[in-house]
Amino acid sequence: MSMMKGRMKQWKWTLVALIPTVIIVFPLYFIAIGGFQTVAEIFHRPPYWFPPRPSWQFYGDALVTLLPYLKNSLIMALGNLALTLLVALPSAFALAKFRLKIGKSTFFLLAFTQMLPATAVIIPLFLIFNRFRLINNYLSAILGIAVFTIPFATIILRAYMQAIPTGLLEAAFIDGASLFRVFRSIVIPLASPAIATAGILTLIMAWGDFIVSLSFLKDRTLQPMSIGLYNFIGQYGVQWNKLMAGSMIFAVPPLIVALLAGKSIVAGLTAGAFKE
Amino acid sequence: MFFPLGITSPGGRERSSSFSMKTTSHVGYFFIVPALVYVLFFGVYPLIYNFILSLKEVTLITYMSGTSPWVGLANYWQTIKDVVFQRTFTNTLLFTSLSLAFQFLIGFFLAILFNRSFPLKGLLQSLIMIPWVLPIIVSGSFFRWFFSDRGMVNGFLLAWDFIDKPIPWITSQKLPIFAVTLANIWLGIPFNFVLLYTGLRAIPIELFESADIDGANWWQRIAFITFPVLRPVIITTLTLGCIFTVKVFDLVWIITQGGPGDVSHLLSTLSYSWAFNKFHFGRASSVLVIMLSLVVSLTVLLNSIRSEGE
Repeated sequence: MSMMKGRMKQWKWTLVALIPTVIIVFPLYFIAIGGFQTVAEIFHRPPYWFPPRPSWQFYGDALVTLLPYLKNSLIMALGNLALTLLVALPSAFALAKFRLKIGKSTFFLLAFTQMLPATAVIIPLFLIFNRFRLINNYLSAILGIAVFTIPFATIILRAYMQAIPTGLLEAAFIDGASLFRVFRSIVIPLASPAIATAGILTLIMAWGDFIVSLSFLKDRTLQPMSIGLYNFIGQYGVQWNKLMAGSMIFAVPPLIVALLAGKSIVAGLTAGAFKE
Repeated sequence: MFFPLGITSPGGRERSSSFSMKTTSHVGYFFIVPALVYVLFFGVYPLIYNFILSLKEVTLITYMSGTSPWVGLANYWQTIKDVVFQRTFTNTLLFTSLSLAFQFLIGFFLAILFNRSFPLKGLLQSLIMIPWVLPIIVSGSFFRWFFSDRGMVNGFLLAWDFIDKPIPWITSQKLPIFAVTLANIWLGIPFNFVLLYTGLRAIPIELFESADIDGANWWQRIAFITFPVLRPVIITTLTLGCIFTVKVFDLVWIITQGGPGDVSHLLSTLSYSWAFNKFHFGRASSVLVIMLSLVVSLTVLLNSIRSEGE
């Protein structure tokens, strides 16, 4: 009986917590149902809580329009992931396990760069990239997004790699393994949970990027889905239902990740924010 | 040290656990160089270039011909005298302080609410993270519709007879900055929640239990235990929040583009608009330098409060 009572008491907290959660999720819900309505229905007064005559048509339309942009989003997100891990993994290892003269300053610069306002990097980078004819090239966007993902990933990975017992690495080293071998065969496998977290967060950041792509990719055939959606707004008279359906499609991958890997995202975010 | 992220630098505690072999440290540089070069080239150099640009007359014509003349502080002088800049500066302060205050309060409230176990807690926690994972174009478009003249807010207010004609949330002179601030508060909830929640989890439960025995009520526990113990976490959260809020760009760009008529600009969107709509790169850079100084001084201020308590 008392156990039952305890259970009930706990469910009470679920209900209390549900109220703010629903308010926070509410925009997403209205985007999702907006995609099922005609523009007139979206602007109905008062707004509908449920689509009166749900139709898949606008989701279909949005998908067809956005499909060409999907390839660009994938190229950029995966390209950025590769670049980020390639740079961040070794540096995180060095920052975690070596006593280097430039370690302190490198770490400081990484933290500093991550804090920079995107506009402060993008305006000068635009002028620099323009000189090298990199504007309207995937590479400019990948390099630009990596300015923020590399420090982010390095900080997360470093925090995790610090926990790898140094004795383990030294033992392998004494046994004659080269440092690269230690890195490849011991550090990387042991750090795989952190690599997954950093990789997921990097993918989410690159997938959702707006400002870098907006600034560096003016050619429509190179733009990612975020800019494809922004082009819906730019056109004369916004097709709100198509925009909302498209937004929902675009949001699905990060949403799935967030629901499946919520814990590691939280862990990753906080690893960067607090230090010993 | 004014950078709170990952903020204690290497050295200190982990020094004892570093590789002891001397031979390894030379090779170690090989590992660190890619990141260092990247950050120097794509982070630090643009920043310096930014500063140089702000001292030059850089327009489309002078940039193309490669003859941008030095103009000293003229860009800064013109920027500061500009009414649009002055309004933008006020906007940025308003936007930052209101966002920070409300995000923090909501995040703090949620953190306390979630600092106990109940069924479905994991799911609800993941749902609270949604504003953070949602691509900015998605949330930005939503709020653009939400606040539009025929949008959701007006739709409900008109239907329920609270108002006779639509409130011009993002089409008037005074309201747009408040509309984008509201959107940004929503956006910042997960961040504040996560940091404060993690901080709360670290407080030993015994502290609260002993307070319970002493007969402390809920408010007393918050005021005399949670706040003092959480102080470093709170200051870190506010400092990071401050940095992240001052530099917000996308959200405002998607909802209002700084308009109508430049009334809802933040320093970031103003500099972007001057650079890419008006091609005044020099003046845009002067705005950026001012914005960076603002970020740095706010951070130093908050950090000095932190060290005062220690």
